[in-house]
Amino acid sequence: MQQILYLVQKEFRQIARDRVMLGLLFVVPLIQIFILGNAVTTDVVDLRLVIHDADDTPMSRQLIESFAHTRYFKLVGREQRGGSTLTGHMDRSEAQLALSIPEGFQRDAVRGRSPALQLMVDGLDGNTAGIALAYAADISRNFQARLLEADPGLARRGAAIRGAEPEARYWYNPNLESKVYIVPGIMAIILVIITVFLTSMGIVREKEIGTLEQLLVTPIRSYQFIAGKIIPFTILGFLEIILAMVFVWLIFDISVAGSIPLLLAESALFLLTTLGLGILISTVAESQQQALFVAWFFMIFAMLLSGFFIPIANMPDAIQTITYANPVRYYLTVLREIYLKGSGPAELWKETASLAAFGVCMFGAAVWRFRRAHG
Amino acid sequence: MPRRLVAIMRKELIHILRDFRSLMIVLLMPVLMIALYGYGITLDMRNIDFAVVDDSHTPESRALIDAFRRNGFFHFAGYAGAASAAEEIFRSRNAKMVLVIPRDFAQALRTGPSVKVQVLVDATDSNVGTYVGTYAANVFRLFNQSQGIVQASLATVEPKILYNPDMKSTHFFVPGLIALLLMLTSALLTSITITREKESGTMEQILVSPIHPVEIIIGKVLPYVLIGMANGALIVVSAMALFGTPVVGSPLLLLVLSVVYIFVALSFGLLISTIAKSQQIAMLMTVMSTILPTFLMSGFLFPIASMPAPLQLVSRALPATYYLVIIRGIMLKGVGISDILPETLALAGIGAGILAIAIKRFKVTLD
Repeated sequence: MQQILYLVQKEFRQIARDRVMLGLLFVVPLIQIFILGNAVTTDVVDLRLVIHDADDTPMSRQLIESFAHTRYFKLVGREQRGGSTLTGHMDRSEAQLALSIPEGFQRDAVRGRSPALQLMVDGLDGNTAGIALAYAADISRNFQARLLEADPGLARRGAAIRGAEPEARYWYNPNLESKVYIVPGIMAIILVIITVFLTSMGIVREKEIGTLEQLLVTPIRSYQFIAGKIIPFTILGFLEIILAMVFVWLIFDISVAGSIPLLLAESALFLLTTLGLGILISTVAESQQQALFVAWFFMIFAMLLSGFFIPIANMPDAIQTITYANPVRYYLTVLREIYLKGSGPAELWKETASLAAFGVCMFGAAVWRFRRAHG
Repeated sequence: MPRRLVAIMRKELIHILRDFRSLMIVLLMPVLMIALYGYGITLDMRNIDFAVVDDSHTPESRALIDAFRRNGFFHFAGYAGAASAAEEIFRSRNAKMVLVIPRDFAQALRTGPSVKVQVLVDATDSNVGTYVGTYAANVFRLFNQSQGIVQASLATVEPKILYNPDMKSTHFFVPGLIALLLMLTSALLTSITITREKESGTMEQILVSPIHPVEIIIGKVLPYVLIGMANGALIVVSAMALFGTPVVGSPLLLLVLSVVYIFVALSFGLLISTIAKSQQIAMLMTVMSTILPTFLMSGFLFPIASMPAPLQLVSRALPATYYLVIIRGIMLKGVGISDILPETLALAGIGAGILAIAIKRFKVTLD
């Protein structure tokens, strides 16, 4: 026990001595959460819109107003009559969306001929394009509904103003803010970066400069060495989580809806996996550079296949199957569910069991390999 | 090329080739990512599980449920007893949406001016909320039509999708992936390789030799330019082969501007190596300052226009933001240099600035 304590002490001294490292560990992640929590947004606002109005009547101007007065669109150009240069604007990426109002729009609308509004959208970003089209359709619908309500005589005979309509209620996130969903994800990623990378590189570093050999010829047993490496990083990991939770609460006003002890317990299970992976990598890698690459290789896939920002349900079946082998997937689910919905162990037992299984296997394999390599 | 420079480059190349495993990871990872993500990456929602509370039990209510089932975006998960079960359904993640059809649904549909159907959405993922709202509106419109309710309308909207008519996310994603991986390999590899020499003390040894610091930098960095270019070429070729991603514009222009971007990334790696004292720190600094921001703030996945104004300024400082406009323009729209001149200049400017600081710091810290 005494030996382990010495090793832990040594590790903390090494970290505390290095001011840059301290900054990287405790300040940078918070900046990351702040910036990314604000930046990572799937909300689409201020889409650049150009309009060609060949009609130029009260009704067409009213339609333009209803487009310009939303936060979704920003009117960057408006042409009247004459030839249209809308495509040019799109080619130069000055506009993402172009609306063309045909000549005789008002006349035809009043006579019930249902004139067609042409809407061009830049499809390069398929996601934004889809949302833009939906917004535009929505605005045009509301515009018509307003006109029809004001003057029911405009409607064709026998047409109803409305039939069945949906009334949407958004639970847990009524304003549909993406940061609520993204922030717990960033916490998971930062935890992975800090534990996997630092553990593996830390051990390999001792290998590289030869202090590992020195330690191993002392009476210290290999399990004591591992504990001496693991305990500091576990404590660091928990500090990071708690710090991040406080920060997220202060800055974004997102607090944990569920039980914090449960959240920490699940994190402990997850740390078993990441620390185990770190040790495992250190037994394979010969240099810090190699450790870095192997760790990076795992991390990028773990991140992309976790459902962090690409919904797993959208992936092809084969890839969905792969995601079951990704511990980050379970941790992310657990984190989000506890954070946002306040779910308890009853709802999360599957994920918890998976995390535990991963943790035990990964950690066991790591210790076994380490003892074989250095025992 | 001076002999000493060649000697340093040779030494660096031997280092790289000796570590075959790292090289393979650097070169193969992009191809694997393309293969996985070309298929997988799409932010729009599909297969949204929905449950139904049907208090109406009429042919009309069943027709509405059918309309949802046939829609393709929704997947029927089962019936629920009462609206109060929604909480339990969301918590156990059995469905993301609960449709509550009121008792008087069929009757109100015939007589009343309108009948409201509650659509409860588990909006923890705001994206799901946005899409469900849109899709549901569509389903209701189709349902109304099928029930013979002619909804009054004045005009129709005819959408036309330019450049990428199928709205395939792959084509949009590939250029972003190139930007990310070039940044990663170039910045990370240089910062680590130089810090390694510092850590093991060999940098001091090289510096007391007659070699000029600039020669060391160029000699160490050039091999990584080659790796970066090989990487970029691999990604483009595999994306073309696997998904038919086009390169509409000039490949030569793309290559030249990619070299400019690689140069920016390398300069950044160099700058970090002048600050970091150990490889661990160099790694953390590079990952935190290049990879995550490039991934999330350059417009790779999330539109810059949606970010708060101060963060839009930050994204303007990222080289990847400009490179993305350039590479998407050339690959997908086929634009020429005149259309992307401002971005090119910005990129070169950022690179020159970083390099100047890095070289200055390099001399100060080591001379």
